[in-house]
Amino acid sequence: MTKNGRLSRWLADSQSPLDSAEIRALTEHAGDRSEQSTEAFDAREATRERKQRETVELERQLNRRVHEWSFTSGFRLLRRLYRVLAALTCGGIVFFLLLTVNALPPFGAAENPYNNEVSRRYIEDGLRETGSVNMVTGMILDYRAFDTFGESTVLFTGACAVLLLLKLNDCADGKPTKAWLEAEYDDRHHEPKNDQILQTAARALTPVVLLFGLYVVLNGHLSPGGGFSGGAIMGAGLVLYLNAFGFQNTERFFGYNTFRWTIFLALMTYAGLKSYSFYTGANHLESGVSLGVPGAIFSSGFILPLNICVGLIVMCTMYGFYTLFRKGGL
Amino acid sequence: MLEWFRFGLTALFLTLGLFVLAVGIVGQYRFRYVLNRMHAASMGDSLGILLVVVGLCLSCGDGWMILKMLLMVVFLWIASPTGSHLIARLEATTNEHLENHMEVRRL
Repeated sequence: MTKNGRLSRWLADSQSPLDSAEIRALTEHAGDRSEQSTEAFDAREATRERKQRETVELERQLNRRVHEWSFTSGFRLLRRLYRVLAALTCGGIVFFLLLTVNALPPFGAAENPYNNEVSRRYIEDGLRETGSVNMVTGMILDYRAFDTFGESTVLFTGACAVLLLLKLNDCADGKPTKAWLEAEYDDRHHEPKNDQILQTAARALTPVVLLFGLYVVLNGHLSPGGGFSGGAIMGAGLVLYLNAFGFQNTERFFGYNTFRWTIFLALMTYAGLKSYSFYTGANHLESGVSLGVPGAIFSSGFILPLNICVGLIVMCTMYGFYTLFRKGGL
Repeated sequence: MLEWFRFGLTALFLTLGLFVLAVGIVGQYRFRYVLNRMHAASMGDSLGILLVVVGLCLSCGDGWMILKMLLMVVFLWIASPTGSHLIARLEATTNEHLENHMEVRRL
């Protein structure tokens, strides 16, 4: 008898799907038990229960032993293993690093690979060609300005990605959305509001911090510093002000639109200025931008505006990251 | 003679400052509660920095440089206690079992 036939018969509901032999095999055991005496049945049940209880007890003992082991000697073993492995890993890393250091050329030797014609050119002709007293700024904003443009674009892209991920939707009809209200409540609950000590400290520190950031940005071609460090300082000043006085006060001068337009215009200005100087430089044209007197604040051509652009981008990115991670909006 | 005196004073202040900073670091790892740890950490931020900067001032001896370094200390003395205050405030507002760690007088 094939399966097909059985299935089709079952579907047609003419006969039970199981053969009569199979049905007998299933029901036979029950029949046997019902025929036996109750005493034998009880005895068998008692043995079964005792065995089961013994098994459970054994299992519990085993469990307790494993538990105790893992909490006493196992824990100690793991800790010892951890310490040994940590020491081994540290030792190995130190060993290989020292091996690498040993293979390096001596520090400051004249024939080292980094003493090549590129650094000689930067050091000897940098001041004349870029007009920047700070050699590093002359390097990153003139010789390698394209690279710095890429870095600024990385910051811009990061800000865009965080905006896409974390920005809460604005209300369409003037009413705040539920997510926005929840974020507002969380913010009010966890962040310091009207903290007298913080406000006093911020009143004293914020102008100094912002002024110092501006100084570092504007003096980028004269002294150590530049757009990246100065922008970071200014962003930190803004974050301090926001922490002390809240979103309502910062939104008066630095809202979402300010953020958007500042970062966009700074990047576009950078691109425009540098495209112009690359175009004229590559075609050996007169750019019409004088390098000025080295050491004066208005000198060294495009480096000062480029520094300002980079500083604005870094400041906006830092402040935007902070506000977006804190509340999901500017 | 004067130079040696200055050098000795500088070394003394620098060593004292480094000692205070080291004590602060040890305290940060030895203590188990955030406020105790903060106490250890802020010791290095205030006294340790002051001692180190006084040592550096003595060793450099240039007027404008000394002024800048002292300004740095002033900045840190304003900023660091404010930060500690905010951490302590957050701990006091968010920890529900504050009385396990200290004596609390509810107002």
